Amino acid sequence: MTKLPRSRLVALAWRQLLRESHSGELRILFFALIIAVAASTAIGYFSARLNEGMLMRASEFLAADMVLSGSSPAADEQISQGQAQGLDHAQTVEFSSVIATDAGIQLASVKAVDKAYPLRGQLKRADKLYGPEQPSSGPAPGNAWAEARLFAALNLKIGDSIDVGNKSLKLSHVLTYEPDRAGNFYSLTPRVLMNLDDLAATGIVQPGSRVKYRELWRGTPDQLAAYKNLIEPQLEANQKIEGSRDSNRQIGGALGRAERYLNLASLAAVLLAGVAVALSATRFAARRFDASALMRCLGLSRGQALSLFGLQLAILGLSASLIGALLGWLSQFGLFYLLKELLPPDLPSASFGPALAGMATGLVALAGFALPPLAALGRVPPLRVLRRDLLPVPASSWLVYGAALFALGLIMWRLSLDLQLTFALLGGGLVAALLLGGLLLLGLKSLRRVLARASLPWRLGLGQLLRYPLAAAGQSLAFGLIILAMALIALLRGELLDTWQDQLPEDAPNHFALNVLPEHKAAFEARLAELSPKPAHLYPVIPGRLIKINDQPVQQIVSKDSRGDRAINRDLSLTWAADLPTDNELVAGTWWHAGEPQDMPGVSVESELAESMQLKLGDRLSFVVGGLSRDVRVTSLRKVNWNSFQPNFYMIFEPGTLKDLPVTYLTSFYLPPQQDRQLVELARQFPAVTLLQVDALLAQLRSIVAQVTVAIEFVLLFVLAAGLAVLFAGLQATLDERIRQGALLRALGAERKLLVKARRTEFGLLGAASGLLAALGCELISFLLYRYAFDLTWHPHPWLLVLPVIGAVLVASAGILGTRRALNASPLTVLREG
Amino acid sequence: MSSCILTARNLSKVVPSAEGELSILHALSLDLNAGDSLAIVGSSGSGKSTLLGLLAGLDLPSTGNVELAGNNLREMDEDQRARVRAEHAGFVFQSFQLLDSLNALENVMLPLELEGHRDARERARGLLERVGLGHRLTHYPRQLSGGEQQRVAIARAFAAEPDVLFADEPTGNLDSHTSQRISDLLFELNQERGATLVLVTHDERLAHRCQRLIRLEGGHLIDAVEP
Repeated sequence: MTKLPRSRLVALAWRQLLRESHSGELRILFFALIIAVAASTAIGYFSARLNEGMLMRASEFLAADMVLSGSSPAADEQISQGQAQGLDHAQTVEFSSVIATDAGIQLASVKAVDKAYPLRGQLKRADKLYGPEQPSSGPAPGNAWAEARLFAALNLKIGDSIDVGNKSLKLSHVLTYEPDRAGNFYSLTPRVLMNLDDLAATGIVQPGSRVKYRELWRGTPDQLAAYKNLIEPQLEANQKIEGSRDSNRQIGGALGRAERYLNLASLAAVLLAGVAVALSATRFAARRFDASALMRCLGLSRGQALSLFGLQLAILGLSASLIGALLGWLSQFGLFYLLKELLPPDLPSASFGPALAGMATGLVALAGFALPPLAALGRVPPLRVLRRDLLPVPASSWLVYGAALFALGLIMWRLSLDLQLTFALLGGGLVAALLLGGLLLLGLKSLRRVLARASLPWRLGLGQLLRYPLAAAGQSLAFGLIILAMALIALLRGELLDTWQDQLPEDAPNHFALNVLPEHKAAFEARLAELSPKPAHLYPVIPGRLIKINDQPVQQIVSKDSRGDRAINRDLSLTWAADLPTDNELVAGTWWHAGEPQDMPGVSVESELAESMQLKLGDRLSFVVGGLSRDVRVTSLRKVNWNSFQPNFYMIFEPGTLKDLPVTYLTSFYLPPQQDRQLVELARQFPAVTLLQVDALLAQLRSIVAQVTVAIEFVLLFVLAAGLAVLFAGLQATLDERIRQGALLRALGAERKLLVKARRTEFGLLGAASGLLAALGCELISFLLYRYAFDLTWHPHPWLLVLPVIGAVLVASAGILGTRRALNASPLTVLREG
Repeated sequence: MSSCILTARNLSKVVPSAEGELSILHALSLDLNAGDSLAIVGSSGSGKSTLLGLLAGLDLPSTGNVELAGNNLREMDEDQRARVRAEHAGFVFQSFQLLDSLNALENVMLPLELEGHRDARERARGLLERVGLGHRLTHYPRQLSGGEQQRVAIARAFAAEPDVLFADEPTGNLDSHTSQRISDLLFELNQERGATLVLVTHDERLAHRCQRLIRLEGGHLIDAVEP
């Protein structure tokens, strides 16, 4: 045959595809691809947008997406550059000032805000003390809002005037909630909020006064990133730039885990996509053995035959991927509709990224998994036309399957951007697949011997599996992967959330009390014991500044940007303790014991801070505390649970070191809900004490956890649906043969019961094997993930042993359902076949 | 040996088609005594296989009635008809229709096991030896030639000692030499076991080995040769 022009080949491929569009296996491959692409696109969109949404929640703690802060005003150029990027801008200025009234004076933390503040989250105020709160924009010029404790301390009421510096302001409202206050527990003094326009008139802010200027920015991630890149190199020494991710340690951690979790779900969907496509592509090829042999007989070269079928696959893959991506994009709207109560109202819309990734997933999986059977098509001997039982010469498919796995790995890595996670998942899956696939094959082959003694339904069912043991092992592996993916997700959902929830017990402290004076300590402790079901420990606090490490000034040692930076440019809350606090864990050195003589008093340092400042045991630290210098030696390093809402300290001194210095006490305690009244009384009874409510922060954390839980459950449903679709696709592939068998058995006089029994045996065994495989694989992968990706302690999960049972029930019911046409096949079919 | 084992009365079969209803069999009646052999001949599409399917209870007629070994098939559901087939009918098909997942011995055991015979294995082995495949017991269908496969199918057909053996083009897929040996085997066994034979075939020579012959065209009986 002369060389076939490419255009004719394309036309031929197209015509054949159209002609065969009604055939079962083309439809199945088409739909498998659509489901796969739609599932991964929807999950991709969902997690991308949810991530954005959760980042926005986290932004509330900054009141912006990004903040440029410094002790001097930002340069005009820094502001105009941000505006040129199209970012929204707001400005706040914070300083401490004495508030004077006729009744007395009180040190307050004043914040002057412009009318754009806050850019994220809401400001809330109440019309009267302890009245209901409403969201509002900041105070109008001439007005001020203050926290309830300022009203209490100075015996003020709404409408009174206060003096801030030279400016007199009218107290118009009670300030009840500031979005960017929650994270900062160490602002000890009551807050006064005023309008930025009044700032100049106060006369307080002079060159050299201690003021914190904050430039707030809001915009798209791209705009923010561009601005950050632009401005970071030119930051002044006193300036720093902060994004929502690093704004809060607790939220950052929760977000990180949620992100990993959703990525994991997308990876599971990708795996399922691969399985679905693999099953139907294999059938696509198998059904073309005859056609391929015939074409070769008619003179088509091997290459042309390959191109022909390759083109068909490409056309099919592209059109299915397009439809799938569209469906996925549509279904994420449904998803967001269902979750609308939980999600922020102004969720950003996602780019084309997830749709493209979904399509790429489908196409790469199609190419990867369809190539080996397609290659086999090229090898179909033309003699198959005469001898139908001639299967293509077996070839080493390892290389091709290796390429498929590599492609899959690439997609997974691209989706997760996490090499560890990808390796854990892919490596674990691969090792499990090879190991367990081999075992399955051996098991199946050894069953052949047992078979001779088995009863008829068993022999029929097992015989079906044994006829092509490789195919059975492959199918079992495929179903196993699905069960594994679902089990892994269920397992991680349960355990990761439990871990989060455990870190936030219901009675986690929801209030902080600061500035408890030594003379009030006993009375305050006694009062707390009456109010709170859990006793609270009062820690002594003395502000102090670290100035030297081993006689070298800290500024020379600690790089900017590092966490150590936080510890050197401000006062640290120093404390002392005879015993190690309960949630702290000693990771190096020893805790002091009374009566051990030392050349120098000891200090215990928080381990992460020690790492970033490169502190080691035995280092000498010099602090300035209350104007005096104190030298201490690092005797231990501690790991601190920052999620505990207990007072935590970077530095704990040996008792006695700070004895003769002015001290106040700090504690956190749990107050059951609806006890606001008692809180007010507590504030009145101890006016000097600063009480901070962390309920808002806690509620926000809980809401994020709840949101993630629902999202995960939803994603799990998606994976389950994709898994079932895959299962049916796999069953469809064997349907023709089953129909023929069913009809024959019926003709020979078998009752339906027998057929059902045989099917149950076959699929039950297949499912049980898959479940066993899934249980073992799941345990292996969870071990790797816990150990290397999530940093959690791993325990065995005995409940995974129900997976073989679940697998048997699931696959048997789906199998019987999926092959019911074969059960009900008319025995007449056997006559038509001939 | 003159009792009626198979009776058909007024059989018609109408199937829906794209152009409306298509009648593929018209008011056909026949009686078959035990031990008789009947050949159904006709061109492709004449309704031969349809008639065979109706007589064997693989399908139900649109009108009319079939009685097989005293069982009125029309009044039964599919499972009941299956039991009647298991008890009274045997089949040989053009494309052999062996189960690929079972070996030769197991294929022959199948109808015996469906009837619950305890000595299925021994009887199946005996039959396979009778058809000359004693050395091929554990071979799977794909390891057997077409002629061998059809011999397994014949052994299977006689395994449960059917009253009526239905054969649909039993030599249609075989060369003339093998075909001759297969039809010899079929008639020998039929003789030995005293079964009634209903045979659909194109092959006039094979047809004339039967005692009776009916010829169909367009679903009508156009010729009947009685002994």
